[in-house]
Amino acid sequence: MNYQIRTEGQYTVIALRGDVDLHHSPKAREQILKYLGDQCHVMVDLADVAYIDSSGIASLIEGFQLAKQHKLQFGLVGVSEPAMQVLKLARLDRVLPIHQTISGMALVSIR
Amino acid sequence: MDTARITSGKSVNSIKPADLPAPPQAAIQIVHACSDDGTDSKKLARLAASDMVITAEVLRVANSPFFGYGYGKKIQSIPRAVTVMGQRTLRNLVLCIAVRDAIKQDSIPGFDINTYWEDSLRRAVCARLLGRDVRLDHDECFTAGLLQDFGLLVMFFLQPDKAAMWPEMRRKNPMSRYQMEKRVFGNTHDKVGRMLAKEWGLPAELGEAISNHHGADGDAPDETHTRLCRLAYCVDWMAAVFTADDKSETLTRCRDAITRIFGLAPGVVEKHLDNVPSLVEEAATALGLGVGNQLKFADVMQEANLKLASENLSYQELTRQLEITLEERDRLAAELNREIALAQEIQKSLLPHQDTPGQYITGINLPARELSGDFYDFFTLPDGRMYFNLGDVSGKGINAALLMAKTSSLFRCLGKTVHSPGKLLQQINRELCETTTRGMFVAVTAGLYDPANGTVRLVNAGNPPALLIGRNGTHKAYKAESPPLGIDTDTAFPEYEFNLSDYGLYLFSDGITEGFIAKDETLGITGLLTLILEVGARPAQQRLAAIVDRIRRSPEPLRDDTTILLVEKPHDNGARTD
Repeated sequence: MNYQIRTEGQYTVIALRGDVDLHHSPKAREQILKYLGDQCHVMVDLADVAYIDSSGIASLIEGFQLAKQHKLQFGLVGVSEPAMQVLKLARLDRVLPIHQTISGMALVSIR
Repeated sequence: MDTARITSGKSVNSIKPADLPAPPQAAIQIVHACSDDGTDSKKLARLAASDMVITAEVLRVANSPFFGYGYGKKIQSIPRAVTVMGQRTLRNLVLCIAVRDAIKQDSIPGFDINTYWEDSLRRAVCARLLGRDVRLDHDECFTAGLLQDFGLLVMFFLQPDKAAMWPEMRRKNPMSRYQMEKRVFGNTHDKVGRMLAKEWGLPAELGEAISNHHGADGDAPDETHTRLCRLAYCVDWMAAVFTADDKSETLTRCRDAITRIFGLAPGVVEKHLDNVPSLVEEAATALGLGVGNQLKFADVMQEANLKLASENLSYQELTRQLEITLEERDRLAAELNREIALAQEIQKSLLPHQDTPGQYITGINLPARELSGDFYDFFTLPDGRMYFNLGDVSGKGINAALLMAKTSSLFRCLGKTVHSPGKLLQQINRELCETTTRGMFVAVTAGLYDPANGTVRLVNAGNPPALLIGRNGTHKAYKAESPPLGIDTDTAFPEYEFNLSDYGLYLFSDGITEGFIAKDETLGITGLLTLILEVGARPAQQRLAAIVDRIRRSPEPLRDDTTILLVEKPHDNGARTD
């Protein structure tokens, strides 16, 4: 797995690539928590994720919970098919905010 | 040129003659005049009269006990010195003074020049002793020894920022020091010495010894070089016995060189080395150079042996420490293994007993590591209804095992009073949301089965679909309608309700469907369905064992905890576990 950071509007976008598994998810987690810690609104771009396991999902959940606590926006964008299957199977698509694209999104507070 | 005018930090690998320090002019003129056979004592007297300081110093040194040229009668003038000593000896003596004064005491900041002169005097004294044995002019040998490494002092003079390297350089044997000079300065003392000999117009025999005593490239000079030059090579090793870290090795090299080049018996070296310290002190006094008290050769060797012994002891101590550390590591590993074995035992005790005859529910849990993040449980309520669950904690290892224990305990404890799987998971979810960390969550499928009327109320929170399978292959999947527990306190947990009838209800973790059955091939839902139909006639426990075995026997290592649970009415045809 590797990652790239970019800014889009008011969001820091963390784009993950490859396999987000037990071995690599700590790196993803570190980046997510770092930017949320810096009070950034964070979007995780999963467009190029080939595989994500429960440790990877746990990193996303942790980001989601932390954002809620700090009243920041957190969501997933451009979720790849394999990642979406995992999210849907576990019904996490009902918990994590998922967006097609970032452009045009309004900055609204999470419930 | 005045040495004080030379700027520091000049590149040593591109030294120009103008960069070199200059000796007192009167001294160098005397040296040149002495080398000229046409010079008479009157001319030398005139030259000496032009610099009374030099003259006084030459006479003082000549009359010193170490040189003792007056043979008991004090020499009081340069012409007298020429008569008693001869021009050549006078020249060598003046050279010693000239080189001493070429670089002033404090002109290299941070450099201990006294230790440099101490080493040079040691080479000079060794050369004088050895020179007598090999029938060379021992005064000339002394001068050669004093001058042979002057190039090194010049390099430090040009690059005083390297002064801190001197103590380390000094502790090396001549060959290693030569290599270190190359690394530090990009140049070596013999090359700088050659330039110096030319610039100062030194006598050819001395110039040769200074320039070539390291041979072609740090090696020994060969038969084509003069005996004085080859003596300078031996002297380097002889003097280094006092300063090098590897004294025994240096001494061996020194003995070998002297025997090989001059055919002297090896014992000669030790005999001379015994005399070196006191002679160095005398020569230092004679030349007005400050050196500290000289340790006797025997003491130097004893100190070296003690150091070697202490290093050996340190090595033994280090080995012992390493052994202790390894023992400690093994002890801790054993302790950890014991702790893990205990944890495994506790975990197993959290799984339900399966030896009840005619039971409705059966399960198998195969951990991928020592401890499992999966769990299952079932128990009967006082009214006869049965609660069952199958959970999968995100991640693996001890943290997953602890959360598994917590969730499983909450289920069993709260399940006794909350008789709705949806409400039960809601309560557990709230409890977990308050306490879980690092984004950990628990996928749970839970149900309540009433054997009296066959009704099942089922909730799937984040697990793969539960499968209701009939003997003829008809099946229905109950997908997750809720996300896992521990994520969001407001999650709702809707219940499915259906009749179990004669069907088998299979609950499983994703370790089953994502488990490998061949290289790059996972079982999948379809594979699982096929497998269940294949093993359909066997008793429940055997059926589950066959499914798990299929994954366990795969050449791929087990990558996830693998858990499966079956709820089924006991059959009359005996295809049931009991």
